Amino acid sequence: MNIDLIATIIALLTIFGISALMALSLNLEYGVAGVPNFGQVLFVSIGAYTAGLTYTRLLPFLAGQPYINACGDSLAQAVQVRTNIMHTMPGVGLANFVITVIISALVGGLVGYAVSYITLRLKQEWFLALVLLVGGEILRIVVRGYEPITCGSNGLSGIAQPFSWIADTRLSAVAFMILVLVFAALMYLYTDRLVRSPYGRLLKAMRENEQVARSLGKNLTRIRAQVMLIGSAIAAIAGVLFALNVGFVSTNDYVVGLTLEVWVMVVLGGLGNSKGALFGALLITIINRVTAIVAIQLNMSGIDIEFNYFRYILLGVILLLMLLYRPKGLLPEPTQTTNAHDLLAENQDGMN
Amino acid sequence: MLEITNVVKDFDGLRAVEGVSLSVAKGEIVGLIGPNGSGKSTLLSMIARTLDVTAGQITLDGHDISHLSSDAAFRLGLARSYQDPSLFFQMTVLDNALLPVKDQSGEHPWYAPWRRFWKEQEGDNARHASTILKRVNLHNHFANRASDLSGGQMKLLEMARSLMGEPKMLLLDEPTAGVAPALAYEIFQQIAALRRESGMTFVIVEHRLEILFDFVDTVYVMHMGKVLAQGTPDEISRNAQVREIYFGD
Repeated sequence: MNIDLIATIIALLTIFGISALMALSLNLEYGVAGVPNFGQVLFVSIGAYTAGLTYTRLLPFLAGQPYINACGDSLAQAVQVRTNIMHTMPGVGLANFVITVIISALVGGLVGYAVSYITLRLKQEWFLALVLLVGGEILRIVVRGYEPITCGSNGLSGIAQPFSWIADTRLSAVAFMILVLVFAALMYLYTDRLVRSPYGRLLKAMRENEQVARSLGKNLTRIRAQVMLIGSAIAAIAGVLFALNVGFVSTNDYVVGLTLEVWVMVVLGGLGNSKGALFGALLITIINRVTAIVAIQLNMSGIDIEFNYFRYILLGVILLLMLLYRPKGLLPEPTQTTNAHDLLAENQDGMN
Repeated sequence: MLEITNVVKDFDGLRAVEGVSLSVAKGEIVGLIGPNGSGKSTLLSMIARTLDVTAGQITLDGHDISHLSSDAAFRLGLARSYQDPSLFFQMTVLDNALLPVKDQSGEHPWYAPWRRFWKEQEGDNARHASTILKRVNLHNHFANRASDLSGGQMKLLEMARSLMGEPKMLLLDEPTAGVAPALAYEIFQQIAALRRESGMTFVIVEHRLEILFDFVDTVYVMHMGKVLAQGTPDEISRNAQVREIYFGD
């Protein structure tokens, strides 16, 4: 098998950007604020299902074409219409993408916000983790059984990325890769700035000791809901990009395993450190890609080993080794995380 | 300033505090003493609203705070410290001190990403924190993690942190526990100075009576969830009932 190195690098960087968004989201929620979100896939899938809805309904509407049932007998025709619009009307495709991102961020964020309030009655924060873990699976089963969103278990194809109108497929992939990396870079800057601000200090205090933070006047119920809103919105945006990258929305992609993969990224990179989240996302993306390539090579050479499963064993081993020997991750959280120290130093220099 | 009327606290059928009433005037330093398990810390936690009351009423400046949340109580001017230093151990000394500052614009998620909205206020707060931290001799530890401090320094940081919230009343749970005698005396000198300078009110749970009695105006002695006696330190040290139960005389 010949490996197209450039295509592999483009694919790898695109997936890295999407994984980075998921890891940054979980790092903000759990690494910084201590809210154990085991429902990462719930929010990612909200983004993907939103894309499913907008690409089948909003896109033809924006292009001024009649709605055709995306499933059932007209499935092939609907895919053809979507593909045509994406290839011939770049403006419509782009507008549809922007609206999809906005809607998914709003829906994902609101669901995160609401779940945080609904689970307030659960005294132990780990119950929130369980509710979210189960919530992701419930949504998946509901969507699989309810045809209008993703055509049930058939899934939706023709969910093209906004640059699919570029005839040169490599150029088109590069454009999408850049778009994804820009999203990841913006979210990195955003979450990193949050962490350095007094808000970041508040989130860390909530992680360290809730009772004490409350007794120092902080309304943590509101803060937890806010951080779930922000984190879930980022995860939902990642979900849109994930679906567009695959070009297909299927409930089979949004299983608990995805949540666990994001956890491994954050624990491996370093809890509470945005750079660590990026590093973890990069390493796991590379491991996934390399094991996938090896699996294909082995299959092609006739060796009867399902090497893809080796990936899950490897992730489990990495998680165990990290927790045993380097619980703070490869890039541990720095001691000084807020800007207060720099500002104090500036002030003192000014006074001298 | 603080009025406690017939306050009761039950834990799963066990009565920890039984019908306690006491009052604290503005600027007063009140000591709360008694053997272990007498209900002192439970009472303190109920005043700070970190623990719910089963029955009775607590008022602060005439407002009923009996069922207020602890964060709302703090915003009204009630700050507490804990028996075991309850710091944010993975945060720096400076960040610990800055957390309780009220009305920080940078604590709002909309403004937080934009430094220009909070830079000046944060700089002022940091300067104020550095003054308070210098006062308790922690100025060489600004950038250290709170977990790197000694037990005594942790107690001092906890007190400095409470002060950053500009409370009207400080509730201190054994401020000198695990602290060397010289430093323990210094902690109480700081308390007296704070009262002198800003008219702050204190309710202090303390086992080191030899130090406590030098600084407090009124002492309440608790025993088995009730107030056994109250009076000036002199009166309390002469009280035969107190001596019998507390000192075993």
